[in-house]
Amino acid sequence: MLSKNKELWLSVLAAIIITGIYALVVYSTRAIPAAASLFGHLIGIIGFLLMLMTETLYSFRKRSRKGRWGSMQFWLQFHIFTGLVGPYMVLLHTSWKCNGLAGATTLLTIIIVISGFIGRYIYTRVPRSLDGVEITDPGAVAQVSLITTTRRTLSIWHAIHIPIGMALFVAALIHIGAALTYATLLR
Amino acid sequence: MEKKPFGCLTVPGLITAVLVVLIVIGVGFVRGGMLFSPGALSAQAGSALGSVTSHADLSGKCTACHSFFWQKGTMADRCLQCHTDVAAQLKDPSTLHGDQLKKKPGMPCRSCHPDHRGPNAALTDMSMADISHAAFGYSLNAHQKQTDGSPFICKTCHVNGYLKFDQTVCVTCHQQIDLNYMKSHLQVYGENCLACHDGIDTYGHNFDHSRVAFQLTGKHTSLDCPACHSGARSIADMKSTSQDCNSCHAKDDAHQGQLGTDCGACHTTSGWTPATFDHAKSKFSLTGAHATLDCTKCHLNNVFTALDTACYSCHAKDDAHKGQFGTDCSTCHTTTAWLPATFDHSKTKFPLTGAHTTLDCTKCHINLVFTTLPTDCYSCHAKDDAHSGQFGMDCGTCHSTSAWLPATFDHSRTKFPLAGAHAGLECTKCHINNNFTNLSSACSSCHADPAFHAGLFANISCDQCHNTSAWSPASFNLPHPNACGEGGCVNHQGATCRDCHTVNLSTSTCLKCHSSNNPGDGGGGN
Repeated sequence: MLSKNKELWLSVLAAIIITGIYALVVYSTRAIPAAASLFGHLIGIIGFLLMLMTETLYSFRKRSRKGRWGSMQFWLQFHIFTGLVGPYMVLLHTSWKCNGLAGATTLLTIIIVISGFIGRYIYTRVPRSLDGVEITDPGAVAQVSLITTTRRTLSIWHAIHIPIGMALFVAALIHIGAALTYATLLR
Repeated sequence: MEKKPFGCLTVPGLITAVLVVLIVIGVGFVRGGMLFSPGALSAQAGSALGSVTSHADLSGKCTACHSFFWQKGTMADRCLQCHTDVAAQLKDPSTLHGDQLKKKPGMPCRSCHPDHRGPNAALTDMSMADISHAAFGYSLNAHQKQTDGSPFICKTCHVNGYLKFDQTVCVTCHQQIDLNYMKSHLQVYGENCLACHDGIDTYGHNFDHSRVAFQLTGKHTSLDCPACHSGARSIADMKSTSQDCNSCHAKDDAHQGQLGTDCGACHTTSGWTPATFDHAKSKFSLTGAHATLDCTKCHLNNVFTALDTACYSCHAKDDAHKGQFGTDCSTCHTTTAWLPATFDHSKTKFPLTGAHTTLDCTKCHINLVFTTLPTDCYSCHAKDDAHSGQFGMDCGTCHSTSAWLPATFDHSRTKFPLAGAHAGLECTKCHINNNFTNLSSACSSCHADPAFHAGLFANISCDQCHNTSAWSPASFNLPHPNACGEGGCVNHQGATCRDCHTVNLSTSTCLKCHSSNNPGDGGGGN
């Protein structure tokens, strides 16, 4: 089970480590680290980069058929790992506030994670080769109708998950731009 | 195979992206920059600057405060456009803002004054250590930790803004520490804490009173401050507390002000007693036996002024002379003791000389009678009068005070001046049995008629023929009863009586010179 859900356990481990560091910062400063503080910025930026990686790297690997950049299985696990750890760090970055665009971005982040879990659940219903490629041979599969239903569900999920993700990234980018303009580059 | 779009770049994804951008722009139109606000602006109202009473009034108008990086000017410039009072303070290092800017030049306003932290969040967020609090009249030396150990923060004292301070905060906190003390403290010194306290807190029993002109010594050291400084409302009041003893001790004055107001002239701070009064500074220096007397011997009923310095005011009862010498005892007596006393008798009508000087007073002043004594010799010496009053009562006529003898009697003043051989006689030769009066001045009273006279001169005085120098020579000046023979007596000039009267005057002979008793025998004389 451990090997089967390795990425989940690693995510939990990373979350515990990050939580520990966060707790240390809270303890030493006796305050919730502000989003604009050094630590707040750091977890925000890393979290966002991880989320960006979640979005891009798996897609890149899926498209790069010639590449030898690891197995699809690994990249899926990496996708799940960054997709959990990144949002968690972003959540800590918020300093537990939910204002305006940044708040909306946080909400979208939470939604996309939940959506990701749902997607993964549907995804596991689709039989795959060891390499993670969908088995399309109906002869090898008895429950053809089930597969068909599952695939339809998965495509519906995609149709919802992708716009949410897009909204999230656009909102995040606007948030980053606004933060740079109004705060970071403020003289 | 149809090429799948990359990642999110699906048609619905791109549409969503455009929609999100449109929503952001739309909200921006409606609500300004609210979408980018990291939190609500402070809604705490200050004094209105233009139409703005709090930052919350500027919500959504980001550029009211935020300058973009491509624009000229900084956020601080925009702060100071409204906060002109702070702009003025920044130029003056003696102000809080000027002091901060001097320490950290170029420091933006927001490093101490963050916003977007909620409507009620503090607009100032800075370390107390960064504030030269003492430079603004109050040191935080004694305000580092509260009684529960928690550190002071600005808001602990500056409840309603950092540039304001309500002294009721002092009272509120300090009453929690010691309610009774604060009650009395407020009662004694009033409620303007800062008038005295500068935060260094060296008052109370920790105050080094030796720093000021009035050193605390003796019993003063253990007094509570209000014992002297009650009612002081400022340091100036404390400093101007009268250092005059009487300002505090008037009520304690056992002398009721009679000895002035400078208690320290006699008393020390160690206690009212023992006191040392320098009586020499008074009109009445204490000498002799006076020096060891208890004060109350003279100062009855705590009367210290307007006491009569005359001896008699105290010593009337002691006057052995019963007032006969007046009231100034010191004419004769010293303060050492009544005796010995020195009376200058020469100032009296009767100066003492001779043997009088060594007499005891009582020899003359019997029964201590000193006045109305007669000064005549006889008043004392009547009993001593060897002359039984025959020379009157003025002994001094003959006697001096040195002794009865020698005495000098001027016989010339009598009816019988002494001349000749009388002058060299002992008095008693004539004055037999101390009889000095009623003596006859007749010669015969002393001198008997000698046989030689043969009674012929019984009726004539001796001095008809004799003088006092000696009995002879005598000169018979009367007519000689006898012609004396040849040539009469006239011819016997130069002969003495005894030349003829060899036996007595009733007989005569010529034979001493002549050869016969016949006249004219021519015997001749020598």
